[in-house]
Amino acid sequence: MPSVTIDGRKYEFEGRPGLLQFCLDHGIEVPHFCYHPSMSVPANCRQCLVDVGAPVRNRATGELERSDSGEPVIRYFPKLQTSCSHTLADGQVIHTKRTSEKVGRAQQDTLEFLLINHPLDCPICDQAGMCPLQIQAYKYGPEGSRFEFRKTHKPKKVKLGPRVVLDAERCINCTRCTRFTDEISKSHQLTIIERSVRNYPMTPPGVTFDEPYSMNVIDLCPVGALTSADFRFQARIWEMSSTPSITTTNAKGSNCYYWVRDNLVLRITPRENPAVNAYWLPDEDRLAYRRFNEDRPTGPSVRMDGALKETSWEAAYGRAAEILAAAGSGTVFLASARATVEDNYLLMELAHLTGGTVAGYLPHVEPGHGDGWLRTDARVPNGEGCRRLGLQPVDTASLVAQIEAGAVRALYVLEDDPVAACVIDLAALAAVPVILHYYNTTNKTLAAADVALPAATVAETIGTYVNEEGRAQCVRPAKAIRGAHRTLMMRMGLSRADQHGTPFDRWHNESHLINCKPSWEILPAVASAAGHALDFAGPRQIMDHIARALPAFGGANHKAMGPMGFKLPEA
Amino acid sequence: MATKAGNWQSYQRVLLPPVKDLHKLSIYGDYAALRSVLTHNSPREVTDIVKRSGLKGRGGAGFPTGLKWSFMPPVDPAVPRYLCCNGDESEPGTFKDRQLMEYNPHQMLEGILIANYAISAKACYLYIRGEFADWITLIETELAKAYEANLVGKNIMGLGFSSDIIVHKGAGAYICGEETSLMESLEGKRAYPRIKPPFPAQSGIWGYPTTINNADTLACVPLIIERGADWFASIGAPTHPGPILYGISGHVNRPGVYEYPSGMLITDLLAVAGGMRGGKKLKAVVPGGASVPVLRADMIEGVTMDADSLHKAGSMLGTAGMLFLDEDTDMVAFLRRVARFYHHESCGQCTPCREGTGWIENLVTRIDEGQGNTRDLDLLLELCDQMEGRTVCALADAAAWPVRNTINRFRADFEAKCRQSVWAAQSAAA
Repeated sequence: MPSVTIDGRKYEFEGRPGLLQFCLDHGIEVPHFCYHPSMSVPANCRQCLVDVGAPVRNRATGELERSDSGEPVIRYFPKLQTSCSHTLADGQVIHTKRTSEKVGRAQQDTLEFLLINHPLDCPICDQAGMCPLQIQAYKYGPEGSRFEFRKTHKPKKVKLGPRVVLDAERCINCTRCTRFTDEISKSHQLTIIERSVRNYPMTPPGVTFDEPYSMNVIDLCPVGALTSADFRFQARIWEMSSTPSITTTNAKGSNCYYWVRDNLVLRITPRENPAVNAYWLPDEDRLAYRRFNEDRPTGPSVRMDGALKETSWEAAYGRAAEILAAAGSGTVFLASARATVEDNYLLMELAHLTGGTVAGYLPHVEPGHGDGWLRTDARVPNGEGCRRLGLQPVDTASLVAQIEAGAVRALYVLEDDPVAACVIDLAALAAVPVILHYYNTTNKTLAAADVALPAATVAETIGTYVNEEGRAQCVRPAKAIRGAHRTLMMRMGLSRADQHGTPFDRWHNESHLINCKPSWEILPAVASAAGHALDFAGPRQIMDHIARALPAFGGANHKAMGPMGFKLPEA
Repeated sequence: MATKAGNWQSYQRVLLPPVKDLHKLSIYGDYAALRSVLTHNSPREVTDIVKRSGLKGRGGAGFPTGLKWSFMPPVDPAVPRYLCCNGDESEPGTFKDRQLMEYNPHQMLEGILIANYAISAKACYLYIRGEFADWITLIETELAKAYEANLVGKNIMGLGFSSDIIVHKGAGAYICGEETSLMESLEGKRAYPRIKPPFPAQSGIWGYPTTINNADTLACVPLIIERGADWFASIGAPTHPGPILYGISGHVNRPGVYEYPSGMLITDLLAVAGGMRGGKKLKAVVPGGASVPVLRADMIEGVTMDADSLHKAGSMLGTAGMLFLDEDTDMVAFLRRVARFYHHESCGQCTPCREGTGWIENLVTRIDEGQGNTRDLDLLLELCDQMEGRTVCALADAAAWPVRNTINRFRADFEAKCRQSVWAAQSAAA
C-alpha cells in the first residue's frame, strides 16, 4: 500500500486523498479557512501551507534514487504547498508546523495578513468563541501586528436577504459562501465584487439572497461576516448549551443542534450526518426555533361554562378519564405524525384499553414543497413512524361523516391541529368532547377542546422519529420543563455536558420553564385515571417493547440509534 | 561591447513593416503562409517547424512556443480543443500588441489560424483588453472581411480545414492577462487565477485542452512558415531568437515601439530612442514591464535584451516594455506608483497578495510623503518574503519584485527620504 511520511511518522493511504483532509482525518491539525470537504478547493486563504518533498526518480530508469544509506532521496518542492490542493502520492514526505519552522513562519505570516484589515471586533461579534479566525490566530498567529495604517472600510450590516446580514469588514474572502451558492444550492445568488482588499461577497444587482438554504452560509463563514438576522447580537456562544437533536419541520429529520440559553432555544444549526443532511440545514428548519419559546401554554386546562380554565394536571387527567368513560367505544383517537413513535404507540394502546378506535394520522402533505434535498412535501417529521406502527393517513371524509352522524362521542387528538389542517371544522366539533395534546396556544383546535394538555416539544422530550428514508432517530431534551421528571433529568444531565455546556447559564428564569409534559407521561396518567394500566418506565422501554413487537422496528432501540440514527429494516 | 543583434542597423522590420495601410486585407494579402501549411504540412510538421525556429513566448515568461503546442493531448474527436490568443496587454510599460493590432492585425490572425491547424483546434478565442476599443473594432471589421474571403471559417480556401476566430473584449483587469484567469473571464466568471496543475493543455477553457499564446508570439508564426525556421533562428540572440517589439517609454526623446532583433544592447536601444530627454543622465532602466527588477544605470553596461543576459544582470526580459528613468527621478515616487498599481489590480483571491499589496502601498506612500522611517524599509522587504511564492498566480511575485529590487538597488534614495521625514526631524530636535 502506498504511504507517506508526515512529521516523521509513516501513514498508509488508499486512492488519491487530498493532503489536508488526510491530515484532519488522522488527527493532525493544519490551520485552514477556505477548505470545506464538500466544496471545490480554491486554495485562496493560503493558511494550510506545508512543506512537501517527493522521492527523486532516475529519469532514465524510473527507479527511486537512493542515498548511500539506502534511503530514498527526497527533493522538496521549491515553494510551500497548500495542503488542501495537494494530492498525496507514494513516498512523499510532509512537514507541518510541528516539524518545520518554515511552515510555522509561513502560517504566521498568512495570519498576520488576514488580521491587518480585519476589524478585531471580537467583543461584539457573534462568531466569537467558535471563530476559526479567532482560534487559529491564537494558536498560529503572530504576537502582535506591525500594521500601522487605517484598516480598509467596507459596508457593514448589509442585509443580503431576509435572513442573512453581511459585515464586509470581517470578511476574509475565503469564498465559502459563494461556492455554496454556486456548487451546493446552485442559486448563484452570491458573488464576490470589487478587487484586492476592497472585495467582499454581495448579491448580483437586483437579486435578493432569499434562497431556502441561505442561512447555511452563516455556518460556513469562518468569521463573523455573515450573521443571522434573527440571532445577531442575541447571545454569546459560551453562554449557551448546544444539544444534538433533529429538526421536525419536515420528514427529512435533518440533524441539528438546539442552542439554548436561559431555557430558551435561540438558534438551530446543522449537525453533520452524511446519511441525512450532510452539513446543511434548510432555513425553514432553523426558523422553527421560535415555536419552542413563544405562544406556549401555561398549564393544563379544562372547559368549564364554555371557557377553558386552567387547572391541575390531576384534575385534567380526571376530566379526560370521565370523557373516555362516557364515550366508551365511541372514542376516536387521532394519532400524530408530529409526535414520537413512543407517544403514538401509547395512544394506540390507550385506544385498545378503552375500546376506542384509532382513525389514523394527518399526513400534512403539501405537494410541491419538497425539493428532493432537505425539504419534503410532508411538513411533519414522523409520517413514516406512524406508517410503521400500522397507522394509515386519516380518511378525512369518513371521519367528518362519522362526526356529523354523531357516531364520534369523543375525539382524542395527540399533538396535532385538525382544525387548522382544515380536516374538521369547529362547528362540527361543538357537540363532541375533545381531548387535545398541544404545543402552542396558536393551535386552532384549542377552541373546541374540553381538556387541553400542554405537550412537550421535540426540544423537551425523549423519543424517536422516523424520517421518510426509514431512519429512526432519537432525540433528548435540549431545554427543561416545569416540574422535575427523573427520566428527563437524566438525559438532560447529558445535555449539560455538551460542546458548549456552561456554568454561566443558570437557568434562573422561572417564566421560561413551560408547564407541559411529554405525551409519554400524559397518556399513562390518563389511562390510570380511567382505571387502566399503561405502565412503562419511560420512552426507552417503550421503544424496546415496540422493537420486539413490530418487525418494522426490528433492532431499533435508543442506544442503536445513537447520535446518527438507525436505518430500520425495509417495511 | 558586443550586441547579439548582429547588423541591426540594416534590420528590415517584419512584424511592423513600413507598408501603408497594411491593416487592410487587400494590402496584407491572402494568407499565403496559411495556404502553404494547409497544402504542404501536417499539424505535427508545423509544430516541429516552430520548435526548430526557437520561438519563445512574447508575453513575459518566454516559454518555447513549439514545445507548448506539443503539450496538447492526442486529438480525440469527442473532445473540443481551443487556442486562446492573449491580447489583454496590461503590464505597465508594455504597448507592443496594441501596435500590432493597429498596424498589422492580419499577421496575428494568420498566425492564429496556423496555430489552430498545428494543435487541431477548431476555434481560437482572441481576448483583447477592452481599452483597445478602436482596435477591437478594426479587428472585427477585418476579421469579417477574412471570413468573406474564406480565409477563416468553414473549409478555409477549400483546403478542408475549418477554424473560427472569436473576438472577446476584456473588461479592464490586469489579472485577466494571467492565462488561467483569462480563461475564467472568457467563461463569464470572476477572473480568479486557477490552481496549476492542471495546466491549460489538460484543462483550459471550459475544462478542455487549450493552448494559450501571446498575440505577438502568434504574429511571428506566419514569418517562420514563409521564411523558414532557420531564418527566424538566425535573428538576434541564439537562445531567444526573432524580432522583438521593444516598447520604449520614460525619459527618452523618442518613446515608441521599436522593432529590432532580440539581443539588442540596452544602450543601443536608448540611442535609437533618441537618448535621454534634455541630455540628462540615465538613472535606471526597467527592461521588461513594471514587474521585472529595475536595473541601475551602472548595471546595464553590455547587457543585451535576451533572457540570459538580463538574468545575469539581475533582471528579466519580461515583455520588453522598457522604461528609462533619468537622474531626476524620485525612485520612491516611482515605486509608490508601481505599488499603487499592484494594490489596485490584485484580484483579491489569495490572502498574501490581497493584503500584502495594500500594506506595501501604505508603507511606500508613507515614506514618499515624508512620514516614513528606515525600519519601514526592512518591513517592506519582509513583506516581499511573505508574499513571494505563496499565492496561486504570479501577481504577488510581480508585486514583490519591484519593491525588493527598487529598495535594494536604490536604498540610498529611500533612506534619504526617511532621514528627511517628520520623525527624523523630531528626534533631531529631541
